[in-house]
Amino acid sequence: MTSTSAPSGEAVPASKSDTAGTNRPRRRAPADIPFRFADRALAEALATERAEPAWLRADRLAAAEAFEVLPTEANQLYTPYIDLRAATLEAVRPWVQTASVPEAGSVTLLPDGVDGIIDLREDRVVGLGLSDDATAAGVTLETFGAALVRDPDGLRRDIEGGVTLPVDDKLAQLVRGFWSQGVRLVVPDGVRLAHPILVRWQSGNPDRAMLTRTLVRIGARAHAVLVEEQVPSGPDLECAAGERVPQGFFHGTTEVVLGADAQLAIAAIQDLGPRQVAFQHRFARIGEGASLHWALAQLGSRLVRSRIDNRLEGDRSSVEQAEIVFGTDEQLFDLTSYTRHIGRDTTGNLLSKGALLDRARSYMKGLITIEKSAIGTDSFLGEFGMNLSKATRAVAIPSLEIDQPDCRRAMHSSSVGPIDANQLFYLESRGIPPDEARKFIVLGFLEPVVARVPLEATQDRLRELLEEKWAAGIAAGSVGSTDAAA
Amino acid sequence: MTSTRDLVADSRDQYAFHDDIVYLKETKRGLTRDTVEEISGFKNEPQWMLESRLRAYDHFLKRPMPVWTDGLDKIDFDKIVYYRKPSEREEKSWDDVPEQIKATFEKLGIPEAERKFLAGVGAQYDSEVVYHSVKEELSKIGVVFMGTDQGLIEYPEIFRKYYGTVVPHEDNKFSALNGAVWSGGSFVYVPKGVEVPLPLQAYFRINGENTGQFERTLIVVEEGAKVHYIEGCTAPIYATDSLHVAVVEVVALPGSKVRYTTIQNWSNDVYNLVTKRAHAHAGAKVEWIDANTGSRKTVKYPSIYLRGEGASADIISVAVAGRGQHQDTGAKAIHLAPNTTSRIVSKSVSKDGGRATYRGQLKVAPGATGVVASVRCDALMLDDESRSDTYPYIDIQEDDTTMTHEATVGKISADQIFYLMSRGLTENEAQNLVIQGFLEVFTKELPMEYAIEFNRLVKLEMEGSLG
Repeated sequence: MTSTSAPSGEAVPASKSDTAGTNRPRRRAPADIPFRFADRALAEALATERAEPAWLRADRLAAAEAFEVLPTEANQLYTPYIDLRAATLEAVRPWVQTASVPEAGSVTLLPDGVDGIIDLREDRVVGLGLSDDATAAGVTLETFGAALVRDPDGLRRDIEGGVTLPVDDKLAQLVRGFWSQGVRLVVPDGVRLAHPILVRWQSGNPDRAMLTRTLVRIGARAHAVLVEEQVPSGPDLECAAGERVPQGFFHGTTEVVLGADAQLAIAAIQDLGPRQVAFQHRFARIGEGASLHWALAQLGSRLVRSRIDNRLEGDRSSVEQAEIVFGTDEQLFDLTSYTRHIGRDTTGNLLSKGALLDRARSYMKGLITIEKSAIGTDSFLGEFGMNLSKATRAVAIPSLEIDQPDCRRAMHSSSVGPIDANQLFYLESRGIPPDEARKFIVLGFLEPVVARVPLEATQDRLRELLEEKWAAGIAAGSVGSTDAAA
Repeated sequence: MTSTRDLVADSRDQYAFHDDIVYLKETKRGLTRDTVEEISGFKNEPQWMLESRLRAYDHFLKRPMPVWTDGLDKIDFDKIVYYRKPSEREEKSWDDVPEQIKATFEKLGIPEAERKFLAGVGAQYDSEVVYHSVKEELSKIGVVFMGTDQGLIEYPEIFRKYYGTVVPHEDNKFSALNGAVWSGGSFVYVPKGVEVPLPLQAYFRINGENTGQFERTLIVVEEGAKVHYIEGCTAPIYATDSLHVAVVEVVALPGSKVRYTTIQNWSNDVYNLVTKRAHAHAGAKVEWIDANTGSRKTVKYPSIYLRGEGASADIISVAVAGRGQHQDTGAKAIHLAPNTTSRIVSKSVSKDGGRATYRGQLKVAPGATGVVASVRCDALMLDDESRSDTYPYIDIQEDDTTMTHEATVGKISADQIFYLMSRGLTENEAQNLVIQGFLEVFTKELPMEYAIEFNRLVKLEMEGSLG
């Protein structure tokens, strides 16, 4: 009756190839978190070391307590899909003291076409700059450490009580309790930035945990564009065969509050190293008439667990979310998206696309909730997958919970299929070699997100990264099996 | 064999357990190991079945209650009578049947003679005669169609070979419960190459025994054979106890074709928790046509495991959830072999605060190449008090699967109603027509007399005539 566990007593070959060839450890029970650092003492140490005010210490301790008692998976629907086997983080230690400002004497040059940049590497701030226009308009871009000195009351209003993180989520409470670096971007009412703000996180030190928060507050009628990069802090370590492979841990949030009629576009690229475990929480409260666009690309890391919460609180608010995954090797992407329609006449348009090679796996879990108050909702959720090698696995759970039938649209759609033989034939008939044709089709499949990246340099880099991954896949012979389908 | 087992056997002999049968009318309320032994002893079952029941009982105790759907914690297992001797079930009188149910029979146009049977108060009615003549015809072509208890005794080899192979006791908490206390249900065996010319209707057969609360149905269809099995009826079934936990196992051997049609209309206090699963071997075609209109809560996802190359699955699942009801239904197609196909269509209507949930699974296992699968779920909500959920689980582990899934939720469009009303229909008639059209994918698969009754039933539901 449960739609989840394979029945015992069945002589089915379902899991055979799962275990053959690879030597995966036993599936972790939902309670088995793969790291040990998170306890009350660490929360205390973080607060003490950084001389935090009492309210912030209390906030950390409340979160640490919630972390203790909450289940790993907040949603009963998804429990059986938790898979943290790939994470070996028992030895990781989080940064306790981190820099609040760049080192004295360093100079940050603003890249072309950017209104602000903050660049954080492990425990340091390696770049921070804001254009004159942005500064004049009252925009602030700073670390939590700097905000505590400059505007402690403002920071307190923004983060106390964890109101921009899901209260029922163990991993969100983890970052609320144990963050060691934070970025705060505030765009005042009515300010329209001409260029994007760039936030870059560099992570990857083995056996290190980087727990971070990014708080974005966009005032009424303000317009802003944010580009977020999660990239390796250095080259991969070479390990001898049989040696323990140390992993790094990155856990970051993006906590967004949009005032009335505000507009925000966020493009995020996650391209961390192959020995990285990445957890992400993105949480957006969208006010009346405001609109939010997400363009998210997941390329790197050994294991990614991402959760996005869109709360359409104001009337006529809207969210558009496009996410792509391009997985190779043994990468695992566990991506959950919750969209809650609360105000009247809200719009949600969510699209997830995944292309998988080798033994890569993706779990795309989406839940749209239409509350009773959300009259006139228009909501669409699409999850589409392309399995390009035999040993890939794509799981999609596009769910709906609807309490208000008076909606313009409430639907989801999902498909998984190989490369379309007709498209391939067409391209080949135009003289394009088969490998090239397949590349066009796959990269074209992922293009909707690439095209939404607002910063040209970042967009180009994303295209390059996708091409590189594709080329590596071809070199490894991972894509050959599609011939059979074609 | 454990020593406990021997002890049980010994004590049975010692107390001349079998001789007591005559005096046993029903088991005590609640479920203990003794209850299970009592049921098995009463039925004079072979030792292996007793052991199987006890194994199921142990698993039932061990298995936690599912938490992914709500409300099941309200079931009080200690208040249930797990076995009643058939003749004891008929002591109630027509006067005990709630007025509402009687009125429904009236509106559905159920013949007087059938009403008592449907209400669980009639011992006999004319279909018995029909059943006997049908049975004679079937036995001429080698088809077995009888009660499951009887099947266990008369066809021990076939029974033991397949029993519990499709739905093991350990599958879920309720399959374990059924495995421990099952009674009644149908046993169907169709020999190689035989096409059963008429639908087998449990409706007639179960007349003599009353509807089982913990029925177990086993259908084995040999190579190249073909059968259509129909259970349930449109009239609400009035049950004395509020728990119905059934298991249905279908074995469709290579090249066979099986269709299983259900119209479930339990009265609105019943928890209806059913595990239905079929194994489709190479080239076999299995179809579940499943409608749920009654019960307080139904948890049921007819499943097809496509185990042989070229097997195909077709599942149509319909649910109507009214006041106080939760229909947690759906379908599962598990592709385990190459070139298998599946199609799932789900339609639900929720109204007057009812809740309709689609929960489904589509899985393509490694090695199942060339799979083509589709899932379509549509939900209609007739008012703001109601709720509709969709939880599809899609798990693809091959690179050449073609899978599409679509789901929509909405209300009846005002344009459609306006159009129909402009053609002279009342608002209520217009609404009915739209709903009947919405559910037509289901009704068109029914034999005509069922389709007519089903449409009448939906109309009644929509008028709010049923509670």
